[in-house]
Amino acid sequence: MASYSVKDLTFTYPNGASPALDSVSFDAAEGEFLLVIGRSGCGKSTLLRHLKTVLAPHGERTGDVLFSGAPLSSVGEREQAARIGFVFQHPDDQIVTDKVWHELAFGLESLGTDREVMRLRVAEMASYFGIEELFDRSVAELSGGQKQLLNLASVMALNPDVLILDEPTSQLDPIAAFDFLSTVKRLNTELGITVILSEHRLEEAMPFADRVIVMEGGRIEVCGGPREAALKLYETSSPMFRAMPTAARIGCALGMTAPLPLTVNEGRAALRALGLEKKLLPAAEAPRHAETPAVEAKGLFFRYEKDGCDVLKGLDIKLYPGEIYGLVGGNGAGKSTLLSVLSGVSVPYRGKLYINGERKKAAFGAFEERVSMLHQDPRTLFSADTVADDLKKAAYGRGGGNEDERISEAVRLMDIEDLLGRHPYDLSGGEQQRAAIAKVLLTEPRVLLLDEPTKGMDASIKEVFGRKLLELKKAGLAILLVSHDIEFCAEYADRAGFMFDGAIASENTAREFFCENTFYTTAANRTARDVYRNALLTGEVIGLARKEG
Amino acid sequence: MRRDAFHTVHPAVDLAFFLFVMLITAFVLHPAVTGISLAAALTYAICLKGRKTLRLCLTFVLPVVVIVAVFNPLFNHAGTTVLFYMKNGNAVTMEAVLYGAVSACMFAALILWCSCLTAVMTSDKYVYLFGRAIPTLSLVFSMVLRFVPRLFARIKLVSEAQKSVAPSFGKSPIKAASHGLSVLSATVTWALESAVTVSDSMHSRGYGLPGRTSFPLFRFDRRDAVLGISMLVCFALSAAAMATGHIRFRFYPSVKYSPADALSLIGYAAFLILCITPLLLNIWERASLARALGSGSFSKKTADGG
Amino acid sequence: MPEKRDDRRRRIRIIVTVLVAAAAAPAAIFLGVSVWNDRRFYLVSLIIMLLSAVPFVLRFERKKLRPRELVVLAAMIAIGVAGRAAFYMLPQFKPIIAVAIITGIAFGADSGFIAGAMIAFVSNFMFVQGPWTPWQMEALGLTGLLGGLFFHRKNAAPPKTVPLVIFGVLSVLLVYGPIVDTSTLLTTYSDVTWELAGKVFAAGVPFNLINAAATAIFLLLLAKPLLKKLNRVQVKYGLLE
Repeated sequence: MASYSVKDLTFTYPNGASPALDSVSFDAAEGEFLLVIGRSGCGKSTLLRHLKTVLAPHGERTGDVLFSGAPLSSVGEREQAARIGFVFQHPDDQIVTDKVWHELAFGLESLGTDREVMRLRVAEMASYFGIEELFDRSVAELSGGQKQLLNLASVMALNPDVLILDEPTSQLDPIAAFDFLSTVKRLNTELGITVILSEHRLEEAMPFADRVIVMEGGRIEVCGGPREAALKLYETSSPMFRAMPTAARIGCALGMTAPLPLTVNEGRAALRALGLEKKLLPAAEAPRHAETPAVEAKGLFFRYEKDGCDVLKGLDIKLYPGEIYGLVGGNGAGKSTLLSVLSGVSVPYRGKLYINGERKKAAFGAFEERVSMLHQDPRTLFSADTVADDLKKAAYGRGGGNEDERISEAVRLMDIEDLLGRHPYDLSGGEQQRAAIAKVLLTEPRVLLLDEPTKGMDASIKEVFGRKLLELKKAGLAILLVSHDIEFCAEYADRAGFMFDGAIASENTAREFFCENTFYTTAANRTARDVYRNALLTGEVIGLARKEG
Repeated sequence: MRRDAFHTVHPAVDLAFFLFVMLITAFVLHPAVTGISLAAALTYAICLKGRKTLRLCLTFVLPVVVIVAVFNPLFNHAGTTVLFYMKNGNAVTMEAVLYGAVSACMFAALILWCSCLTAVMTSDKYVYLFGRAIPTLSLVFSMVLRFVPRLFARIKLVSEAQKSVAPSFGKSPIKAASHGLSVLSATVTWALESAVTVSDSMHSRGYGLPGRTSFPLFRFDRRDAVLGISMLVCFALSAAAMATGHIRFRFYPSVKYSPADALSLIGYAAFLILCITPLLLNIWERASLARALGSGSFSKKTADGG
Repeated sequence: MPEKRDDRRRRIRIIVTVLVAAAAAPAAIFLGVSVWNDRRFYLVSLIIMLLSAVPFVLRFERKKLRPRELVVLAAMIAIGVAGRAAFYMLPQFKPIIAVAIITGIAFGADSGFIAGAMIAFVSNFMFVQGPWTPWQMEALGLTGLLGGLFFHRKNAAPPKTVPLVIFGVLSVLLVYGPIVDTSTLLTTYSDVTWELAGKVFAAGVPFNLINAAATAIFLLLLAKPLLKKLNRVQVKYGLLE
């Protein structure tokens, strides 16, 4: 029997002009791994929320949702709480209590589970998810990845038949994200739990899925196995095709369709089978820099506590006006500490720091030095009730007389005319990011420090964002891009560096840098490196291969 | 915090201990009783928190004790044994001095017991104890404890992030205050918005359904029963001795106290044992650990080898 | 106007609760005087406080707030606790009373009492616990309660600034200050004389004045924006339905 059966579901929000869901129909078989994808705002979240009554948004609804053959609305709240598990996007915002054990037990307590059963279930979950040693801890001590695993475990404690996950890895770094998705896959294969997952990380998630539903504008555009879905998106030249795994994109473009490769490994095998000739892209000419770097650090040492360990250990870095520098590296390598030193919040105890050629010895005002730092959560920047007020605040803070002119320039550049009257918290993640950058631009910075700017963005929003960055670069800004998003760094950075153990371990032009790495490089490079050693982008690989054909 | 055996007993026993001890300490003003309580509280607090306790004593407890002890004879002139007269003609009496000193010690003992209470009664224990009787309030308590560290982290984050878009305030207190307010405003908006997401997750996991239970994080075992009964007996004995006038101390108009008899001695002993229950438990556990680890070297080796 | 009647009925119920608690006081005093000689004031005041809190706790538990209201209430309490910690360097100059009053205005008298008491309890729990904790809980709870009693109206505009600030100052000088001073008196001195009481209350005056000024300033700065933010969240997420 089908786990879920959705028939002709149409839904409109109270103030919505057009339906957020438009006659959506699909079935989810028991034990199936179903992946729901689509651009931001395509209705994925709205659809997933309709699969559990207490989460369904208010609005006008027609059509049916059947759960195990019965209308969902006739399934009681108690039964739904137990049988339908739901994991949300933000790891922090769904944890209710202050202790790990209490969070694991929370659902069981609500359902009034017998004490002995509760003990057993909680113990089982803690050990299955490998969080036994965290059992007595405060939630505040956990990392983002651990928090999201805790959320999954505390939902699994209720022993659900179906697991619904709404972009659960968008706030995690790539390693934690892969761990999380693998755990979900394991629950699917080992326990036969039906999984309905919406995701932006398709490189990792697509190979796990039995079936993929592609949504666009509230409708189901494509529904089928991952390979078929990718092919269909290619054939209809859908914008979602850009989000497909690299191997699938290369495969479609080069006609390697029987069967279409999905993973890097399959892509490599398919390319080998084509018997291509080895080729190199011409090396980019050495970038020409201005005389003085906008920011220069020489041998920085920093620690947080007197008796603590050094977090920065002799770090050197130079940022020039008119360039984008991509900085990658694992968690705990000191990337955020570096940002806080460069933005004048923390003061190194050894080494020299120059901003526009001027030596800085103490904490300095980032605003006065025209260094702007954008935290990975753009909401940290907003303090007014509308976007327009926020922008005004920033523009008049800098002064200079031509505030209104500058505001309309920043608004045009970041494409946020429609958002001006809205509350910053009512915007989507990508819109918030753009509004925040507009605000930062109004302070007329010379240096822009970006911390994980693409976190949670889908492929098409990333592309828009990347183009904006290139415009800013052209305008002469020095941009430091600290990111786990290697694909994004490879596409937009001029130079790139790898941070390890408090220092820059290696640094080069972006192309040379990434093609020298084995892990920290793009999926396209990993797929095609045997034949095209220095091709980084999917488009480059396809271009080289096509020339040959 | 150091390892403490009393920390591992059932929360009900923990709470009963502090209730008993603090009740007697707060309501019986008697040099011997107050002295026993203060000494036990100080010892236990040092066992629990070491140097931190000393800091608390020096920076807070001692000054308050001195103020209280000095204040009383200056404003309370009851008592018959006059030590000297002040310039305004009021008498400073021996009884008032003694009374002030004992009051001050009682206050110090209460503060120290409270600091032990904070160390031993962690949030889990409150949530466990009150989870059934007042489930909503204990959940709110747990949620607040989850929120507060998040708020602090957020305030720091927002404050740093806004440095990029606002002039630094230098030494101007008005600019600093306006920066502080804008940080606070942004943090509050965030707190309220993210609170609502939390409620989705509560709802999704069935919160609000009738018949809520609570997770049994602790088990009541034999040791807890033994401890509980012995504490109850000690409390009853000492309270009986105090209530029946066998342990009583009168300060005014002249010092007068009940003579030592069999029942009062039993009362003192019971109160002493009650007060040092945590210390006794720690000593007992140390000793049995030493014995177990000493004689268990063979089994330990085989376990490591296997 | 069923809503208005509801409002009035709720207020009457709360006032009755307070009166019952107050009637329990003489009984407690009688008990204290007849049974215990030493420290009777301390015992009596503790009993009164416990008795007066019980009805609020029971009603709060019975009311079964929805998760959304509960979480926003918890967030307000956390804001109060964090506010107290954030101003640790200025003695008495804290936003806690203002936050308790605002919570009372937004959520009503019952929740105001709970929020105030909880702010005091949690901040004592996280920082320094002492014999004064129950008094602070009672004092802060009462200010929250009064805030709700005077200004909480369903679907009404936020209260005017001037009466609110006056209320804030009075609630510190007449409610919060005296209760906390009484706790100082009772926990440190056992043998209470009028002279001693006068001295302790006189010593408390400057602290209470600072506290009243702080409450006025914070109400002036926080009340409008906080109530607006709360209202926004309530509208956006349908808390008012």
